[in-house]
Amino acid sequence: MIGPLDGIRVLDASDESGALAGKILGDLGADVVHVEPPGGDLRARRGPFLGDVPDPERSLAWLALHTSQRGITLDASRAEGRDLWKRLVARADVVLETARPGVLDAAGVGFEAARAENPRLVWCSVTPFGSTGPRADWLGTDLVVVAMGGNASVTGDPDRPPVRCTLPTAYYHAAPEAVLGILMALLSREDSGRGGHVDLSLQECQLQTLLGGAGQYARNRRLYQRTGGKLGRTREIWPARDGWVTFGLRGGAARIKNLVATVQYMDECGMAPAWLKAYDWSAYNHNEIDDTEIARFEEAFGAFFAGRPMRELYREALERRILLAPCNDAREILEHEQLRDRKLFVTLEYPELGASIEHPDFFAKMEPRGVALRRCAPRIGEHNAEVYGELGVGDAERERLAGEGVL
Amino acid sequence: MIFEGLHILELGAGAAGPVATRYFAEHGARVIRVESAKRPDFLRAIFMTQDSPFGLDGSPMYVLLNPNKECVSLNLQTAEGISLVKRLVEWADVVCENFAPGVMQKWGLDAESLRRIKPDLIVASGCLFGQTGPQRSYPGFGGQGSAIAGFNHLTGWPDREPHGPYGTITDSLSPRYVAVAVAAALFQRRRTGEGSSIDLSQIESGVYSLSELIVRQSALGRSVTRAGNKSEFMAPHAIYPCAGDDRWIAIAVEDDDQWRALVLEMGDPDWAAALSERDRFADPDSLDARIAEWTRSQDAALLAERLQGAGVPAGPVQNFQDLLDDPQLAHRGHWVPLRHVNLGELPFGRSGFRLSGDDGALRTPGPNLGEHNREVLGGVLGLSEEEVARLVDDEVVS
Repeated sequence: MIGPLDGIRVLDASDESGALAGKILGDLGADVVHVEPPGGDLRARRGPFLGDVPDPERSLAWLALHTSQRGITLDASRAEGRDLWKRLVARADVVLETARPGVLDAAGVGFEAARAENPRLVWCSVTPFGSTGPRADWLGTDLVVVAMGGNASVTGDPDRPPVRCTLPTAYYHAAPEAVLGILMALLSREDSGRGGHVDLSLQECQLQTLLGGAGQYARNRRLYQRTGGKLGRTREIWPARDGWVTFGLRGGAARIKNLVATVQYMDECGMAPAWLKAYDWSAYNHNEIDDTEIARFEEAFGAFFAGRPMRELYREALERRILLAPCNDAREILEHEQLRDRKLFVTLEYPELGASIEHPDFFAKMEPRGVALRRCAPRIGEHNAEVYGELGVGDAERERLAGEGVL
Repeated sequence: MIFEGLHILELGAGAAGPVATRYFAEHGARVIRVESAKRPDFLRAIFMTQDSPFGLDGSPMYVLLNPNKECVSLNLQTAEGISLVKRLVEWADVVCENFAPGVMQKWGLDAESLRRIKPDLIVASGCLFGQTGPQRSYPGFGGQGSAIAGFNHLTGWPDREPHGPYGTITDSLSPRYVAVAVAAALFQRRRTGEGSSIDLSQIESGVYSLSELIVRQSALGRSVTRAGNKSEFMAPHAIYPCAGDDRWIAIAVEDDDQWRALVLEMGDPDWAAALSERDRFADPDSLDARIAEWTRSQDAALLAERLQGAGVPAGPVQNFQDLLDDPQLAHRGHWVPLRHVNLGELPFGRSGFRLSGDDGALRTPGPNLGEHNREVLGGVLGLSEEEVARLVDDEVVS
């Protein structure tokens, strides 16, 4: 399938914080060339490894996050490497990078130098706090950004420290925003003929997980407390017999139907207490029920869920239109009937590694041109001959550069 | 601005739909939301009680998530309401909706029908499970989406129940992908003249983000589970208590240089000097307990500043007040105060990137129900005041 970004050349020099953005661009059809230092980016090519054999070519994080790209190696700290970088930049539509603010400009390989040569260039900087400002120099990992972006303060149990998602959601939120900024700059270039700078802050992207929370706080001046598996006052995560399910006591017309259906289901199983069967839902408003009532609800619903397997609860929820869902682990996601029916997962073959691995194939189904994995992640320097060949670097020169450690 | 002259018609509700179009509204697109009193966006009522003085026009969450947009109130239970929407489709470049599958069909407003009206239209549908498949009609919200996509399982302490990150994460993640798909389709239309249909599942865009989770499971038969704040690759890597009520600092040590810098800041204690890198990973709990002893009496913001000065990634856990006072966010002009007629002044957040030459702007708070009936019905569709009055009487505009 030809993607909407067919023909757009992206030079991707990003680390893990920008990796998903590079993947999205490639999956959308752009020609993404990922630049690694000679020997590979060992931090991005981290463990665990395929077959548990430590080898940067077998890094599962790398294989997952660098699909649909070509890969080259380059040491841009060397004079000849810098020259090759400039030649690559001169013919690129987009550069994606995650260097500390100012570092590339100081070395003469940043946006300032590049745009003089290539005024159509779109340059996207993904940094923890943005390219300028009092904290632009601060170092930030996913954990630091989730902390400073406000989400950690309201995630977790009240009796323990704030907590993050174990995979880097700060990077996951930033990636599509980086791509959106790049697409906006490309659209703008269609009119103006000029590229521009997309200056992304991971912290600012992270703030938007609060869905207006800080703005609401400004009005009521009540700090939201961490409430574990509850959302506000009422429980959201419930133990089932073999795992956990989500289910809300929150009201509203659509949700009350689901509470009534749940009580019906419980009753059919002989698990609905008499008071619950007789409950008048017509005036129910979760914002107005008191703590005693919440406790009664939680006891009745909780006892019912705790005795049943997640799979059975979810099957009945689908049948009865109850707002209950399993807290899936990775295996359960891969087995999810709906996701398989939509062919979300595609198997990529890795003949050199003797493996077949399932990947999520797309983030949306688009007609007539779509999103799909186009190729496996590149091996270290896999496309050096191809890409440097396109620059006019001959085999002999490339071998010399490789021998001298520039490639 | 980049999207000056771009017309987006939005039908839908909640966060996942409206957050997607917010980016375009921020950068100059004209976004018209179709709602009705018969079927308002549920965010208008989410925290409503009998005492809520402004009814459907007083929900801070709705107002904050929908700046720069207009709202026309059309009752889609009437044939005339639907035909007015179809006329607005002729005006639109993009239609965004996030109803359950089948709802738009029922009104004759599904992607196929709309693209017959206007072949180069871009139609983006962004419901929970997508437009096809055996569970497509499942009526879930972001809470269910986060759970099914795996985020709940990944968040919390290994010895306790899963949590899910605050804010039902598929509601904040999936609209970014809707916006990417729409922008990519606009780019394609610009180059080829083609329209597009986009079928996005909130859950699938979440799972796509979690590619590492899926690939590890498929390749190894095991994958990531919730681990508190521990990292497989960094130690120490945790959130430590600081002085004051509910005050904390995050510290993430990526390599040995950063570890040595942290040790020096701690005053080079004997216990730290004796620890190898292997020791740090072997027993992170004891390590964290030692570091917590050191952080406990210190101010989180000052300590973070000091550690950053020494080259150690660290940051205070900022609560919502801290975010409003954050000097870096202020430098970026993140918070834009806008006055809502019923709620007064509220801080609206900018999106996460700035574009050179086109900074975008937030100008008006989310609209009241039917606030722009005159501008839309009169201005866009050219209806006379008498016609509009008749539509109001007939409860078409309602």
